[in-house]
Amino acid sequence: ASLDDPGEVREGFLCPLCLKDLQSFYQLQSHYEEEHLEDRDVKGQIKNLVQKARKAKNKLLKREGDDRVEPGTQGYESFSYGGVDPYMWEPQELGAMRSHLSDFKKHRAARIDHYVVEVNKLIIRLEKLTAFDRTNTETSKIRAIEKSVVPWVNDQDVPFCPDCGNKFSIRNRRHHCRLCGSIMCKKCMELIGLPLAHKLTSASKDSLSTHTSPSQSPNSVHGSRRGSISSMSSVSSVLDEKDDDRIRCCTHCKDKLLKREQQMDEKEHTPDIVKLYEKLRLCMEKVDQKAPEYIRMAASLNAGETTYNLEHANDLRVEVQKVYELIDALSKKILTLGLNQDPSPHPNTLRLQRMIRYSATLFVQEKLLGLMSLPTKEQFEELKKKRKQDLEQKRTVERQAALESRRKLEERQSGLASHTANGDVRSLRGIPPPLRKAEGWLPLSEGQGQSEDPDPLLQQIYNITSFIRQAKAAGRTDEVRTLQENLRQLQDEYDQQQTEKAIELSRKQAEEEELQREQLQMLRKRELEREQEQFLAASLQTRTRVLELREVIPFQLEASRGPHIDLSYSLDQDSSPVQSSTAPDILTPGSALAPMHLWSGPPALGQETLPQSTMSQQSDKASLNPFDEDDLSSPTEGAISPAAVEAFLGPPAAVTKEYNPFEEDAEEEEVAELGAGNPFTDPDSPAPNPFDEDDGPRPASPAAPGNPFEECPSTNPFEVDSDSGMEAEEHIEEELLLQQIDNIKAYIFDAKQCGRMDEVEVLTENLRELKCTLAKQKGAPN
Amino acid sequence: MNVVFAVKQYISKMIEDSGPGMKVLLMDKETTGIVSMVYTQSEILQKEVYLFERIDSQNREIMKHLKAICFLRPTKENVEYLIQELRRPKYSIYFIYFSNVISKSDVKSLAEADEQEVVAEVQEFYGDYIAVNPHLFSLNILGCCQGRNWDPAQLSRTTQGLTALLLSLKKCPMIRYQLSSEAAKRLGECVKQVISKEYELFEFRRTEVPPLLLILDRCDDAITPLLNQWTYQAMVHELLGINNNRIDLSRVPGISKDLREVVLSAENDEFYANNMYLNFAEIGSNIKNLMEDFQKKRPKEQQKLESIADMKAFVENYPQFKKMSGTVSKHVTVVGELSRLVSERNLLEVSEVEQELACQNDHSSALQNVKRLLQNPKVTEFDAVRLVMLYALHYERHSSNSLPGLIVDLRSKGVAEKYRKLVSAVVEYGGKRVRGSDLFSPKDAVAITKQFLKGLKGVENVYTQHQPFLHETLDHLIKGRLKENLYPYLGPSTLRDRPQDIIVFIIGGATYEEALTVYNLNRTTPGVRIVLGGTTIHNTKSFLEEVLASGLHSRSRESSQATSRSANRR
Repeated sequence: ASLDDPGEVREGFLCPLCLKDLQSFYQLQSHYEEEHLEDRDVKGQIKNLVQKARKAKNKLLKREGDDRVEPGTQGYESFSYGGVDPYMWEPQELGAMRSHLSDFKKHRAARIDHYVVEVNKLIIRLEKLTAFDRTNTETSKIRAIEKSVVPWVNDQDVPFCPDCGNKFSIRNRRHHCRLCGSIMCKKCMELIGLPLAHKLTSASKDSLSTHTSPSQSPNSVHGSRRGSISSMSSVSSVLDEKDDDRIRCCTHCKDKLLKREQQMDEKEHTPDIVKLYEKLRLCMEKVDQKAPEYIRMAASLNAGETTYNLEHANDLRVEVQKVYELIDALSKKILTLGLNQDPSPHPNTLRLQRMIRYSATLFVQEKLLGLMSLPTKEQFEELKKKRKQDLEQKRTVERQAALESRRKLEERQSGLASHTANGDVRSLRGIPPPLRKAEGWLPLSEGQGQSEDPDPLLQQIYNITSFIRQAKAAGRTDEVRTLQENLRQLQDEYDQQQTEKAIELSRKQAEEEELQREQLQMLRKRELEREQEQFLAASLQTRTRVLELREVIPFQLEASRGPHIDLSYSLDQDSSPVQSSTAPDILTPGSALAPMHLWSGPPALGQETLPQSTMSQQSDKASLNPFDEDDLSSPTEGAISPAAVEAFLGPPAAVTKEYNPFEEDAEEEEVAELGAGNPFTDPDSPAPNPFDEDDGPRPASPAAPGNPFEECPSTNPFEVDSDSGMEAEEHIEEELLLQQIDNIKAYIFDAKQCGRMDEVEVLTENLRELKCTLAKQKGAPN
Repeated sequence: MNVVFAVKQYISKMIEDSGPGMKVLLMDKETTGIVSMVYTQSEILQKEVYLFERIDSQNREIMKHLKAICFLRPTKENVEYLIQELRRPKYSIYFIYFSNVISKSDVKSLAEADEQEVVAEVQEFYGDYIAVNPHLFSLNILGCCQGRNWDPAQLSRTTQGLTALLLSLKKCPMIRYQLSSEAAKRLGECVKQVISKEYELFEFRRTEVPPLLLILDRCDDAITPLLNQWTYQAMVHELLGINNNRIDLSRVPGISKDLREVVLSAENDEFYANNMYLNFAEIGSNIKNLMEDFQKKRPKEQQKLESIADMKAFVENYPQFKKMSGTVSKHVTVVGELSRLVSERNLLEVSEVEQELACQNDHSSALQNVKRLLQNPKVTEFDAVRLVMLYALHYERHSSNSLPGLIVDLRSKGVAEKYRKLVSAVVEYGGKRVRGSDLFSPKDAVAITKQFLKGLKGVENVYTQHQPFLHETLDHLIKGRLKENLYPYLGPSTLRDRPQDIIVFIIGGATYEEALTVYNLNRTTPGVRIVLGGTTIHNTKSFLEEVLASGLHSRSRESSQATSRSANRR
């Protein structure tokens, strides 16, 4: 994961060199072979990466040292691709499209202009009509102003009311619209109150001035209309009663203004749901930001690394969980909006609310459950120690293997034959890359983790390692030899240094732990009692809803503390003899592992060193590799397996019987589903102390996804199996396999969450393999 | 050349372009189907699309806080609905996407309706077809032809669908068509016409070898849609019927309420994606594995959920578990129903004889077998008719043809008259007179040797020995050996190299067996990409409806014989 930019986590089959996204493992492989084969310097990097991933894989599979190259299982390929056709998955650009927007806008502008001009005219007039103090102005003056705003239509021109068609007479007087000057009867007359007028004029000032159409700027209209006073002849109107606070107008003008008002209201009014929804989205964004950060922290902490502070992580966890609670609360609020209003909301509104709630639930489910738990302080200390031990062990093994390989090589100089035999694809293409500069070898920075190393000795080791690689790439065997001599000396020196440090360190730790252990055992007893009660309460709560599980988590953490201590205690005892036996070897701090990888990384082109990985690969292949056999047989499996054909050819009744186990099972399943619906129905029945079981050596049950990689490697039954060789391997029980598949699925999920793409890749591969084995085992049960 | 991805990209782009905020998707009947094939509800919910409405639904409420994304076919009715909508907008802002070319005048009338300036986008996104699988699309048209000629409305819809496909894949192809079919030529001309009219749209980056559009007619191979199928997808369609990825299980005895209708989509159902092309026996064992996997996973309270750690593990697996339980119960139900039907209808025996009728040339044995099965009471009338049809098609001109005798047998079995009539209709539809190429007897030396060897070795699987005729056609096409006198180019230019991107369209409907063939060709021939399409995707039932809709049976046999003969002897 060190290659990934922490800011950006990409998923998929990314090429580690150019970060191009390739759609499948096979494409990535071929891409790599085509594009990057010549880049020898980066190859070490890749190799390193691959090795790391392999190690992770081995640990996941709980078996040691099976570093063989995965053979492409032809039979599986067809299986895995299924509906997705690999040949279809070339990068595909968005299909053709065509926009009509400019055309549309042109036509719309033509139409809109007309409408907008009309409305704006009315509003400007309205403004003029309400600009002065109507109540304290004389009627005649008002009339004069009104007539100055818009020319009134001549009374003689309109004998009938244009709206209702009634004839005007002395009884049925003419009225003028103050906004457009037209005439109507009293029945058809409308009035605009001052408040409405103010609302319209004040709000529209901004929108008017910003409107696109130039002809609508208020000044131009103003200027053109000013002084166009005309008809003084409407005597009838003068006799009307005075409207102090209202303005007369026709229905048409009023309609337009009312429409305008409605639009304004809509613009300003934001319903509750929008406000809540905006908050909800904000929370979701926050989670999207924080959760990856937390997951990175938790993963690192659970792996026993000290990059992050445990308390910080705890704070962050609490923060993220609070946001989740908020999301939950907000979406619930949205769901119940307006439910108890009298006219119950439109079904579509309710549907909208339900959908928002549903999507929020989905969001929380998906993200919250990906949040792994943090170790407690004590656990964390243990983890740290364990990690150190692991590293030390690994290093010991590697060193031994390396020494051995070197010895072997010196004995028989031509290791090439054995080298090609291991099936490493890249090493088969033994074409040396073009010569680099002749003057000397440049140290290469091999990924970020190593370049930060403070130890000058280590620095030197890196440099020399990269020199060796470059020399090898150039085919200068003599130089390689001297360099390697140099390297050996350096490493011996470094080893001694580290051993001393380590011995001191471990002594200190032992003292500390002794103390802690005593204290903890006291605490534990007390806690156990308390927790039992809490557990009962908690399990009752869990039943209600998945979301509330948060509340249980803290207890869990505490609960699992006890067993862990015991476990690590036994680990301590186990590992002490190991320590003594490997005394001459070094105890490396975390980063010191990297150079070892590197150093052993590049495939030997010259014949000096065989990387120990290849060595171990070979030996593993010989001793324990049950999958190889299976793989060999897999290509023979055609589209239709022989068994299947047989089944087909058999009498129909038999076939249906054989392939019809579903009816019974389906029933059974229904029952199971019922049970699954409320799995916590029986919270009272758990054994008196659920934690007792955990106290023994851990079973192979799925480890908490929080710390899959560092989980107590020495107590795992799988390792014992793999160590004891073939016979043990052959009897992998189906159950174990299935469990393993489940585990790996969980790990893949986990690795994906943390952006460790290299691992995901390897894991997926592994998963497939396991499935294959499983299928095969089922096909031919011996 | 992935049609599912092409449509999905369009939809994603629409949603992205509308920006953040709550959204409603306004669709018509057809685009609803198009979208539902590529997106699931939960997937689209994550993109803030919360409501799905039909443009013709009257019961829509004003919700000014929603943005509307309209994805519509550019039909007259839709434009009218949209005008009404824009006059009284229900949503705050409208993003309008048409699934095909829309006329300038329609754009104008829409613009004039938008007085409140609520429209923010008007575009053409060419997702105008149903994307079934990455290499398979359909137009969901049943009954595209009247007699031997196009129904004009369906011709224009098909042209639209086909040109939209080309645009969405950015292909400007050369066109070849099946000479024996008038409809194929007509469709080819229509497509070419659109390409030349909208030449600006079809200006894509030129590839070295231009893509090829091959237009075929169903009547050239009436055998394939009449056969029982044994691969998962095809079998489900044949026995249960797939309609836009949906399967109606309501007639299954004792079905539970939530399984009345299930969705089988390779896009988000891993089991289906892995098994859709496997045969029934393989699925049987795979589903057993799935079940066992599931049983391992499912929590047993007395055994597993004893400690808090167990519960935690359960909850952490819960979403996965829930999804899995859905998948398991779905597939178990479907496969269970399939196997029930297989035994109830005696389909293994029926299928064996079908395959013999389709692939071998032993008349007397075939006749004997058909007669034997007609006596079997377990064989349904549908299957009986199907066998007689296959016999009629294969041994139409055989010297000792005993079709009348079989028809009598059908009657005595009590098969309904409508079915019996269909036998002659099918022969009318896809008989020897109509076919441009020979379905049954191999023509070239290679094929003859192949068949000879096949006879020598015996077949691997009697139920899947049939290869659709399309396989041979495409094989020849890929190798550059497809005869130009049978499949001429439209226009003067011809393809000199072997084709790489091929789009095959079958008028009258494709089948899932052909989809499998294309899938396998895609897998086994590197550098060649084939997309298969059809006016619809047939099973036997829908195929017979297609035959019925073409109206060929209603004419008297003699007169139609005369006309089709004359049509053929051009």
